[in-house]
Amino acid sequence: MNSEDVAGDPPVSYGTGSLSTGAQIAGSFGSTGRGPRLLSGGGRRAVVVSTASTLVVLAALVLIFWLAPGSAAVRHTFFDPADMWQSFIGDPKKGYYSVGAAIWLNIRMFLAAEVLILALALAIALVRMSTSPVMFPFRVLAMVYVDFFRGVPLLLVVFAIGLGVPALRLPFVSAQSAAIYGVAALVLSYSAYVSEVYRAGLNSVHRSQVAAARSLGLSNGTALRYVILPQAVRNIVPPLLNDFISLQKDTALVAVLGAIEANEAAQIYSATVFNFSSFTVAAILFLILTIPLARFTDRLIERDRRRRLAGVGP
Amino acid sequence: MKRGFVAAAAAAVAAAGLAACGSSAAPGAGSSTSSKISCTYSGIQNALYKKGQLTVATDEPAYAPWFENNNPANGKGYESAVAYAVAKQLGFKPSQVHWAYEPFNDSYAPGPKKFDFDINEISYTPQRATAVTFSNSYYNVTQALVVMKNSPIVSKHTPAELKTYIYGDQLGTTSLQFINSEIQPDSTPKIYQSLNVVASALQTHQIQAFVTDTPTAQYMAADQIPGAQMVGQFPSADEHYGLLFTKGNTLVGCVNKAITTLTADGTLSALQKQYLGIYQDVPTIKP
Repeated sequence: MNSEDVAGDPPVSYGTGSLSTGAQIAGSFGSTGRGPRLLSGGGRRAVVVSTASTLVVLAALVLIFWLAPGSAAVRHTFFDPADMWQSFIGDPKKGYYSVGAAIWLNIRMFLAAEVLILALALAIALVRMSTSPVMFPFRVLAMVYVDFFRGVPLLLVVFAIGLGVPALRLPFVSAQSAAIYGVAALVLSYSAYVSEVYRAGLNSVHRSQVAAARSLGLSNGTALRYVILPQAVRNIVPPLLNDFISLQKDTALVAVLGAIEANEAAQIYSATVFNFSSFTVAAILFLILTIPLARFTDRLIERDRRRRLAGVGP
Repeated sequence: MKRGFVAAAAAAVAAAGLAACGSSAAPGAGSSTSSKISCTYSGIQNALYKKGQLTVATDEPAYAPWFENNNPANGKGYESAVAYAVAKQLGFKPSQVHWAYEPFNDSYAPGPKKFDFDINEISYTPQRATAVTFSNSYYNVTQALVVMKNSPIVSKHTPAELKTYIYGDQLGTTSLQFINSEIQPDSTPKIYQSLNVVASALQTHQIQAFVTDTPTAQYMAADQIPGAQMVGQFPSADEHYGLLFTKGNTLVGCVNKAITTLTADGTLSALQKQYLGIYQDVPTIKP
């Protein structure tokens, strides 16, 4: 353990001598494979100080908010409990819909889009990574696809699919609901991004892995399926989840087609009664959806890092 | 016309009463100035957004027949003409009227505004009046039904039949509220960000009908959507358009006085005849 004392640290034993703050943790960083811990392991004093500091900062923010000249108007417009409840339960006869029920459409759109994106993006990435001369035109197509859909604003894609496809008046294809067109647009756009994530993952697996697999007598396809893909996918789980958190929120863009999802329901409420509290409700619902996924991503990243640094092979 | 005038007066009285209740309960906003100001040109100066000019706001684009050529400053179109008539009553020359751009969805946000009042076909409702201040009625609204010419709705629109169609409308409008509360269709209406998107949804057969105020409906059916038709208007539900002010704005009292004068001397009904006249002889259907 590092012998130098942290300035101002009282000479008290904390029970376990290795637990301390600042320089000592910096010294131990790396040897255990754990970074400096922000909330745990800082000792009782650090916990007290951090708690007090957090409370002071929070109190200052709340005070500024409460004492601002327009505070009453802002609280009424954005955080009125009665309006929040009304918009949460909805009342079509009064012209607005339940934000709480509408978030269910976001969830369904997100789940459907996620599955399709994972499949389509993988196909695009594999085409782009292929080496066979026969595949050349498809490689060019895949490249154009990715360039195009990454470059075009998602909202334009949503409009083009949602208003253009029904206008074609094809049987079946032109008779779908706005949510279906919205999911199609999300899949088209996000597949382009996610295929690049896949490609990065596939590139991150060393060529020797392919060589080793092939030398064991595995075919190209089998090597890909059992050797390359599992390693590639594990490397890209965090960026994939990151994209999916973003996808959850972008389901709100489908609102422009007339699908009543949470954001749309919130805007309808707001425009009907001239109060924005419905958006606060929608924001809370989106947070309830995205925060668990964000924490799960953090856990995966941490677990992966620990494994690697502990030398447990990939 | 006579009946319309009586209804307008009644609505104006009712709105004045509600506006008075609203302003006495208003929290804080604009309370530094006294709630009563003298309605002379010099008396209103301190209540203006910018002294020496009347700043009037509307959305972009500004639609016919409320405005003409998307140019509010030409004094043509019903709402533009009303704005200039009100300005004249308050003692402004036409050159002192300045126009500001205010999207509908921003117009009711709290805080100071960049205009004296907003004129943008905004319907008065008691709930909305808790967030903003409305003037008295400058137009009494009826809702009308727009469909495509080849649609069965043209001939089949009994209240029971009306329930079976697929509707669409702009979000947050009283027209959408009307569909849900009066027509009560079997399937949920589709909701769009603007009437433009509603119009293209009608053309691409994603919806069978939409509802909007009668002048707008007539204009869209005749000039904006090829192959569309206005079936008729619904009976009045005592709805009216009011000028929108920041909550607690003291200018509203003087503007209400101006509107009362303009109603009494027949200016408003003359402007309605001039700009909305062709829209006033419309068959009535039941929701």
